[in-house]
Amino acid sequence: MAKKPSVYLLWGQQRTNDRKTKRRGSNRVRGCGVSKAYCPKLQINRIKMKLYCLSGHPTLPCNVLKFKSTTIMLDCGLDTTSVLNFLPLPLVHSARLSKLPGWISKDGTVNLEKELKECAGRVFVDSQPEFCVPERELLDLSTIDVILISNYHCMMALPYITEHTGFTGTVYATEPTLQIGRLLMEELVNFMERVPKAQSATCWKNKEIQRILPGPLKDAVDVWIWKRCYSMQEVNSALSKVQLVGYSQKVELFGAVQVSPLSSGYSLGSSNWIIQSHHEKVSYVSGSSLLTTHPQPMDQSSLKNSDVLILTGLTQMPTANPDGMLGEFCSNLAMTIRAGGNVLVPCYSSGVIYDLLECLYQFIDSANLGTTPFYFISPVANSSLEFSQIFAEWLCHNKQSKVYLPEPPFPHAELIQTNKLKHYPSIHGDFSSEFRQPCVVFTGHPSLRFGDVVHFMELWGKSSLNTIIFTEPDFSYLDALAPYQPLAMKCVYCPIDTRLNFHQVSKLLKEVQPLHVVCPEHYTQPPATQSHRSDLMLELQPPPMPYRRCSVLNLPFRRRYERVYILPELANSLVPSEIKPGISVATVSAVLHSKDNKHTLQSIPKPPPVPPSKKRKRVMEEPPVTPAPKPLLSGAVPLEAFLTTLQKHGITEVKVEETADGHILHLQAEDTLIQLEEDGTHIVCDNNEPLRTTLRDLVLRFLQKL
Amino acid sequence: MDGECVSLLPGVCKVLADSGRSLPDDTSLEKLLDWFTGLSKTGGSLLESCPCLLEFISTVGSNTALDPGVLSFALRLAGLIAAREAGFTVLQERSVVDLVFNPQHWQDAGLWSDPCIRIGWIQGLQNMLQHPKALSFFVQSDLTQLLLQLQADTSLFVASAASQLLGHILLRFQPPPSSRREGTGETAEDHQGTSVEYAAVVVVISEYIQKSLSTEGSTQHRRSVQLLRLLALLLAQAGPPLRDTLLQAVGDALKELVAAGCSQLTLPLMDVILAAHSSCGADKPDRHLSCLLSSMFSVNKPADLIQAAAAFLRRGLHDSDHSVWAVRILLLPLDIVTGRSLLGSKDLDEHRLSTAEELKIKNSCISLLCLCLTNTPHITLLPADLLPCPPGLIVTAVLALLSISSGQNSASSSPTATSCTEVSRNVIGSSKVQKCALEALAALSCCPGGKEKMNEVFTVLLQYLDSPDSDPTVLHKSYLALIKWMSLCTNLSFLTEQLRQDLLSVVRKRVCDVRWEVRDSTVEFVGKAAGVLTSPEEAPEGLPVSTAPLLKEALQDTESYVRASAIGALAQTQWHSWQQGAALTQQQTETVSRLLEILSQDTEGFARRAVVQYFISWFSAVSSHASPSSSISSYPSASLLMNSVRSVLSFGSADLDWEVKVHTLELARLLLDEAFLAEWGYRKSPDSYAGDSERTCRLHTHSRGVESDLAGVLTSLVELGVISALLSGLVDCDRPVALKACRLLIRLRDTVSWDSESQDASAAMATVTRVSCELPGWGWGQEIKKVLESKSSDWASKDCATALILSGADDGDSDQDGGDRMHAGVCEVLRSLGLDERLDILSQSSDHVHNSPLSLLQDILDASAAHTHPNTQPGQEVIVDCY
Repeated sequence: MAKKPSVYLLWGQQRTNDRKTKRRGSNRVRGCGVSKAYCPKLQINRIKMKLYCLSGHPTLPCNVLKFKSTTIMLDCGLDTTSVLNFLPLPLVHSARLSKLPGWISKDGTVNLEKELKECAGRVFVDSQPEFCVPERELLDLSTIDVILISNYHCMMALPYITEHTGFTGTVYATEPTLQIGRLLMEELVNFMERVPKAQSATCWKNKEIQRILPGPLKDAVDVWIWKRCYSMQEVNSALSKVQLVGYSQKVELFGAVQVSPLSSGYSLGSSNWIIQSHHEKVSYVSGSSLLTTHPQPMDQSSLKNSDVLILTGLTQMPTANPDGMLGEFCSNLAMTIRAGGNVLVPCYSSGVIYDLLECLYQFIDSANLGTTPFYFISPVANSSLEFSQIFAEWLCHNKQSKVYLPEPPFPHAELIQTNKLKHYPSIHGDFSSEFRQPCVVFTGHPSLRFGDVVHFMELWGKSSLNTIIFTEPDFSYLDALAPYQPLAMKCVYCPIDTRLNFHQVSKLLKEVQPLHVVCPEHYTQPPATQSHRSDLMLELQPPPMPYRRCSVLNLPFRRRYERVYILPELANSLVPSEIKPGISVATVSAVLHSKDNKHTLQSIPKPPPVPPSKKRKRVMEEPPVTPAPKPLLSGAVPLEAFLTTLQKHGITEVKVEETADGHILHLQAEDTLIQLEEDGTHIVCDNNEPLRTTLRDLVLRFLQKL
Repeated sequence: MDGECVSLLPGVCKVLADSGRSLPDDTSLEKLLDWFTGLSKTGGSLLESCPCLLEFISTVGSNTALDPGVLSFALRLAGLIAAREAGFTVLQERSVVDLVFNPQHWQDAGLWSDPCIRIGWIQGLQNMLQHPKALSFFVQSDLTQLLLQLQADTSLFVASAASQLLGHILLRFQPPPSSRREGTGETAEDHQGTSVEYAAVVVVISEYIQKSLSTEGSTQHRRSVQLLRLLALLLAQAGPPLRDTLLQAVGDALKELVAAGCSQLTLPLMDVILAAHSSCGADKPDRHLSCLLSSMFSVNKPADLIQAAAAFLRRGLHDSDHSVWAVRILLLPLDIVTGRSLLGSKDLDEHRLSTAEELKIKNSCISLLCLCLTNTPHITLLPADLLPCPPGLIVTAVLALLSISSGQNSASSSPTATSCTEVSRNVIGSSKVQKCALEALAALSCCPGGKEKMNEVFTVLLQYLDSPDSDPTVLHKSYLALIKWMSLCTNLSFLTEQLRQDLLSVVRKRVCDVRWEVRDSTVEFVGKAAGVLTSPEEAPEGLPVSTAPLLKEALQDTESYVRASAIGALAQTQWHSWQQGAALTQQQTETVSRLLEILSQDTEGFARRAVVQYFISWFSAVSSHASPSSSISSYPSASLLMNSVRSVLSFGSADLDWEVKVHTLELARLLLDEAFLAEWGYRKSPDSYAGDSERTCRLHTHSRGVESDLAGVLTSLVELGVISALLSGLVDCDRPVALKACRLLIRLRDTVSWDSESQDASAAMATVTRVSCELPGWGWGQEIKKVLESKSSDWASKDCATALILSGADDGDSDQDGGDRMHAGVCEVLRSLGLDERLDILSQSSDHVHNSPLSLLQDILDASAAHTHPNTQPGQEVIVDCY
């Protein structure tokens, strides 16, 4: 906390408010601080900070922070796990999928043959896959001033927020986040539009019908808000609202708060955000990593001294150490290739794939895989591989220094040069003519519901020589594989999630010591499948504030101070008197002027000279009659001492009740209430004026008068 | 003593006694003293062999201006001379003993403050105090008090040496038991005199120890530890009277120390108690000692308690009451963490609570568990009545701990389960606990009834091997444990089918691991498993068969350690088929050619060494199985083996790595053995592979007609390249190679040499001497030629010098370096190389010249001469560049 200054000012009576500035908030100013001068007793109202939680997914967050007259959306992650309930979209006609039987309820009363298909004992929706978008009813999205994006995985819902909601604000993101985010969105749109499916299934969403469906469809939540994928036009429009920022760059929002991105070490351009005013600091930690992978390392020290730290995006695989998983990935890959099988790696087109390729670059020779072809198939494969090489300033030090040699920072350049790694936009075209087996194919989408991966699943699924290695942690591999069962192919689950684990985050929080931590409720208890692992949860003092989808949290701290500037001429006129050694107080009468969330105390304008008038001359000669200013009170009423005083005055039956702001004293015999609060005292005493006066005087005894 | 040394010694003494001269380095005096100590130990009298020493000590003792190092040396030397009564008497007559061991003399000279002098004084006394006269001198000079004061010396070394001297005095002069006294030549008067002085010393010293322990026990831990160590040493070696005196004196002080419960003193105290306990013998346990032990076991500090218990068990005392208690204390952490009730109903409630609290602190938790785990194997081997549970349950608990540590399982439900979750946080992922537990598990394979736990053990170990988070050392230890448990059976049929499949798939995966250490451990495991599973035929799809392709793949590994391990493992997996003379397979032929490729091309020595060892194993397996009547040639793979051996000898002897060459010579030795033993049907002794030079086989003990066989054998050895390998080894610049080759050549020479008096000598000679070998005109060939030429010039007058070299370049061919190839008669070469002299030279260590006493004496003289050289400024150091 800031050191308290030695001069206190007390407010005068006049305030003005410039309403022309920002559309809301400036009249809410309270507390004070004037260039080294603070007023703790400026009581306009107490503003609580609120957090609206629009997503329930801990790693794909979408929260809105209302802080000091600004409304800030923190990330807009898109929960794509809903697509697991849908049938895959095959690139070429699949006899198997087209022959699947439709679903009819056991008693035959509900027939959804066209919407739902049964496959390997499970029911899937046969339509274009839909995503679970962030909650849109919890608050008016048009009121959002800015959206802060932490990393490219956490911006996939952006078009749902910025388009068709009346959003007029700005989106802030780093350049790699924008560019790679654009690639991922483009890829998603491409995957969907490449195999259009006219059918839109809605009947199954009927509450009555959904209830009788088999799981997991039955248990799917918020199905009515699931949305089809956006269009490229919407993507372009949404991304046009992005304003680029660099690490540690400070962006002023309406003069009220300053936001600044910090490196989070998770992916290219990934950021945590600091949101601060003069007296408050909120840190938003999302998708961070302390591992030495390709991005710039995490900036931890800037998170220190936060009043509130909003913590999201921890690892989804707390028990899977990324190094171990990388090792598993390599050994399983080598094992399959040696046995003559193919390896399929469903993955996103950016992120961990860079590390996988780097690891393979080193591993290929030691495992004698020099002749095995590696294919990377994605509509944006080329751009992704090239983009990664040009964002030098966003890379870790080792990779940055390579640029000056000059060498490409990532070794996949060499793999491409030596023809060990080949990339194609899709399985059609050149790929089919150059395809050689056994091989390793990296392709999307990790959900196995759309993208080129669907084709390889159909192609290789029947042979036990082949292996599918899951490396993305976003989807349950068993659910992803469900529509392909029965499957002979070997499955290996090596989820590589480099985000902070519980051990690392505990250490981090110990170091940065925020006053309060807010986090998804998932982090406050061990995972359901491993209830004995008390090490896989956050244990903090004070306990973290958990949230879930649709929670609205009052953040547990109140803003107490506001900075108010005092003009030099007014400051000159002050006459401080020392009330305690080192503390001087002066009264000030001034006009409070607020504009752009900046508050200034100005001298009271002198009344305009009245034109001389004979009639009024006499009156003017007399000094104006101004009432003597009432003494200003300061201090607090000590409860114990006050009770003793009451007792001395014969008031013995006092029931004391503790409230959030102070105490209520119930004088039972007198049927009177005294509310003692930090910033005010109320005496509720009907029809007993002498008692009220006595009590008032007793209260006044404990206060200082200026 | 070497006469040359005797002649140099007076000069050296003069140098040392001269304060202006300097020494070559600060270790010279120590080396000199070591030499004198060695001489006196061999039984000779130093004064007789080096009379100049007496003069030296007399002079030096009175010259306090000398360097304290030289004075300290003189003190210790004086002690060494006075260690024999005769020497003592001579020194006393010259008043040397009184002078040099009089501390006042050194104090007056202002030298006593130098720790170098104090330590010289103490060590000199210790050297001297070997006979009653020395003790009398010690007592009469009233040196005991000073020695006691030195126990608290500011110098740790002095204090420690003083403490050792105390121990020495008490133990050395113990009155011998009456049965032993007879025959020692000690007269009754002697003993009586000594015993009075000795008793006085004992009283003073015990009082001192008792007083020091009482006053400083809880404050001066360092001193107390030193005293306790001394006490432990004394009690361990003391006879009954001394032991009883000491125990009586320090009993109360020990009690106080035990009661004080100072953690730093736990182990030293335990050492004292246990030393006393063991010296008392199990038949008459001392009540006081038992009380002390019980007190140690009731301290409520878990870390101290468990240390005390571990120390007690390690000592292996037959004290069943305390053993039961120690076992329970040691098993308590395991019981708490795993929730397995190892300790049954008899609970250690008080300790349980404190231990559970201690386990919640990460560091304590890990150290307590590790101590507990280290002791579990020993515990399971104790008699059943000392154990609170069957040994199998301890194995189960260790397995449970391993599961908890890998994050797989929680502790089983028990009343302490809540605290367990807190404790298990400390254990999850701790590789230290994992390694300790795996080591314990490996050792537990020997525990009674362990075999029944086989499937459980395999399940946990396979989990570890499969876990992506196991670090390479953990995996290595898991493999070791697996091998230990596998060795309980001859095949894997005791495992469930699932486990066998899992084992195979985990091995397949790990052999492709990113970390070379893991690949290495895996490949090693495959080899060891093949060695352990002696009946692989019972499971045709078993481990050795299925893993052979993996090993072949591993021969291509980028890491040379892995390639080397793979080669070793291949040898182990093929051992059975070699022994049984299985038919040659295509795969085997491919492997052999790959191995020869590695031997000739691999850039790393490890892999090449392993290849030679592979062929050594192969050859041993085949020849160990061969009966005297059959020869290797009757084996299906004989031609491949012998062809390969020829290449191995050729590549191996030309290798740059000396170990490869030594292994190649080992192969040559086997070939020699095989050649001669098969020819004459010698019985192979179990130590046939042990020594080289000791065993020689002389042909003259055999019947006629042998000579032609001998010629045949020799020819085949030449053709195989054995002779070339030996000759090239002989002139190798690496001493181990040359030594081994020399020994083998001597053996060969002795084998083929003829008794000149034998009637058949000339006829046999004629056949055998015709056997010749080719010497290349370069490298080792030239070296051998040089040796032969030098020897033949010595023998110029003798007949046998003729035609050593049978022919020069016969067809006009020249070798690569332009040298001429030549042929030489093997027998003549063997006889003419001067092998015995060579062996003498090679047998000495390479620094024998520099480390000899003569060299030392010369160095001292030279350094002094250099120092007094007119061009050298006084005080200027001679700086020798070591590099």
